[in-house]
Amino acid sequence: MSLNRPLSPHLSIYKKVLPAVFSIFHRFTGIGMSIGALLLSIWIILIALGPNYFSIFQSISSYVIFKVFLFFWTMAIFYHLFNGIRYLIWSYGKMMELDVVYKSAYIVLALSILSTLFVWLSV
Amino acid sequence: MKNYANKWILQRITAVILIPLTFWFVYQCVLLSNYDYQETKAFFLSKFNSSLFFILVIAMLYHAKLGCETIVEDYVTSDKLKKVTILFISALAYLFMILTTLSIIFMINL
Repeated sequence: MSLNRPLSPHLSIYKKVLPAVFSIFHRFTGIGMSIGALLLSIWIILIALGPNYFSIFQSISSYVIFKVFLFFWTMAIFYHLFNGIRYLIWSYGKMMELDVVYKSAYIVLALSILSTLFVWLSV
Repeated sequence: MKNYANKWILQRITAVILIPLTFWFVYQCVLLSNYDYQETKAFFLSKFNSSLFFILVIAMLYHAKLGCETIVEDYVTSDKLKKVTILFISALAYLFMILTTLSIIFMINL
């Protein structure tokens, strides 16, 4: 029945306007961090299992590519967090005027970049 | 596929819980990045730390489960594939919730 019916969020046919791009990235970062949540869970399990298992994590974390991965993870966390707050405000029907939607998007972007840099400069 | 209103509300409740916990988590990660095994373990021996971590991971996995399900519902056309994928996501989320809970209980008791 539902096979030939159109799906709502058509990504490929609409012009990429800024709020749509922000929405898509919210989902992309969400999927990425879902995998991240599983990895965080595995990290805790490795600690509980003991030092021999924890050394698996330590050998992986010594790679440079791990740090690069962690940097983008930090950015994804802050982006999803700040954009999520924006969506929570929308859930109350506030800040939905078109100019405010654009302005808050730029604020989210700025806050994400600044927070990520702040964290990585303090490591 | 019922209770969409409940899912919508739970997605937002877990989001609100995760806002302060995420800031705490990122701050702890900066500290934990310099810890060896014993220091990392000592971090979890603290009831305060392990309680917050427990709430963080459970809320995070549940929020992730709801979010991934929404994406699958939006983009997967085949009813069968949709059901199987959602079942897989739920199973994975609940499995890791249980494993995390057991790990944290195990670490506090040691």
